[in-house]
Amino acid sequence: MYNLGQYVARESPVHNRDPRVKIIAVIALSIIILQVNAIGLLIATGMVIAVTQLARIPLGTLLRTLRPVLPFFFGLFFLYILFTPGRPLPWFPIGPIQISFEGLYLGFLQVGKFLLLVLAASILTMTTPSSEIAIGLERLLRPLKIIGVSSHDVAMMVSLALRFVPTLAAEMNSISEAQLARGANFNPNSMKGKIRAITYLAAPLSINIFRRSDELVDAMEARGYQSGHRTYLRELILTPADYGIIGAIILLLTVMLTWHLFI
Amino acid sequence: MIRIQNLTFAYEADRPPALQALNLVINEGEYIALIGPNGCGKTTLIRHLNALLLPSTGEVWVDDFNTRGAKGLQEIRSRVGMVFQNPDNQIIGMSVEEDVAFGPGNLGLPSGEVRRRVDQALATVGLTGLEKRSPHTLSGGQKQLLAIAGLLAMDPKFIVLDEPTSSLDPAGKRNVLALLQKLQGQGMGIIHVTHNIDEAALADRVLVMDKGELIADGNPADILSRVEWLKSLGLAPPRITELMWQLQQVGEDVDSSIFTIEGAVNEISALLTELRNSTHDYMSRKVGGHV
Repeated sequence: MYNLGQYVARESPVHNRDPRVKIIAVIALSIIILQVNAIGLLIATGMVIAVTQLARIPLGTLLRTLRPVLPFFFGLFFLYILFTPGRPLPWFPIGPIQISFEGLYLGFLQVGKFLLLVLAASILTMTTPSSEIAIGLERLLRPLKIIGVSSHDVAMMVSLALRFVPTLAAEMNSISEAQLARGANFNPNSMKGKIRAITYLAAPLSINIFRRSDELVDAMEARGYQSGHRTYLRELILTPADYGIIGAIILLLTVMLTWHLFI
Repeated sequence: MIRIQNLTFAYEADRPPALQALNLVINEGEYIALIGPNGCGKTTLIRHLNALLLPSTGEVWVDDFNTRGAKGLQEIRSRVGMVFQNPDNQIIGMSVEEDVAFGPGNLGLPSGEVRRRVDQALATVGLTGLEKRSPHTLSGGQKQLLAIAGLLAMDPKFIVLDEPTSSLDPAGKRNVLALLQKLQGQGMGIIHVTHNIDEAALADRVLVMDKGELIADGNPADILSRVEWLKSLGLAPPRITELMWQLQQVGEDVDSSIFTIEGAVNEISALLTELRNSTHDYMSRKVGGHV
């Protein structure tokens, strides 16, 4: 099981911030990252590393969250360097393969941006318990009420989805163990075997999910759940420092974006 | 008070009804065990108590609220709490305390009050200290205690439990049953659906259902001692009761309406004392005769 970006309990200024501040920061950072050039990317990387240090999260733990997405980004990288036209590199072509300066630059830049996005999101989930993310999200989405979306419902969906991750993971294990016990033999070393194992898991798992959700609905209704307004154990209160940080983030975002427009 | 008047319910109109013309009054502070063979309508009945199901005909009243009325729905659900069989599928929160806070949050209570109720409910069920734990790391018994805490935080008058101990180990069972008795002591009404007849013996009133009808309603001593009748319904009588009944069948003079080990010990030791005395009398008379 991957321990992807799971909450790392620490006492740190980043952990103690209001979840809304962190969510806004990640959104702002993502916009900045997608807009910048190579120099901007380096600055953003520096910022991400600084926040990691502040949060007392070891850099190794953070980088490990990249492992499952690496194959995908390698593929992306090769697509960029192979299919970007431009000035050819001197020691090419080798056979039919042609690589350009622009392709190499773009490959590094785009893949670097995506990796940094993943890291930024991981810092959020590593420093904020998922329940706080859900509450923060609920508060941030409250304005959506004017278009008829209940932020309470959205937050409920998010937190239920997160709540059932470990349950379903355990269920998946027990299904696959039951299949192995009855002589199923999926060669875990071959791609074909892995895909086969997944198709055999999918049907029983989805049936179980439907049954579970039926029972869950009853349990929620029995405890008085109704769509719309509800209250929470914790009410979030923004401190002056939180307002200051949000202000600084928005200022930074505006400066970076306008600066980018002028260069 | 829960009043069920002439309740009939069918899942599909063209099929025979799952419940037929049921009448029942449940008072606060009563501990009721509901037993019956599989498919007799126990679960269907209890789902009417908090308006998860609505009667096809007839009425269900919780205090002054009819379960058909949309306005009283929150009131009914905070008065009648329900614990389901599978502990995993009724936990909603990502931590123990948040799960308990779900009910009071639905009632729209301010967060200070939610906090107070959460702490109190966790203290009552004995899970204080586990507030921040993730529910999936709890044992089965602890999960059921958590489910009960979630109801207590809504300040219910009745707690309905659908086979709450069926997937628990003996220690977990004991904890849940002890909690139920403690809650009854505090004046709460308990409606406990069970397959385990020894658990039914803990109640002060036993209801027996068969084929959608309520066929018996009385105190455990009366109902659980009808050994042959229980067997004819496919229910197992309490083992102690069956032991006493078997003794009775071979001609021993014992009371077969006993279902606790203490009662059986008293009854059997009385029998043995009597036996010893009569043997003693016989022997001494015999010995005396020779002299």
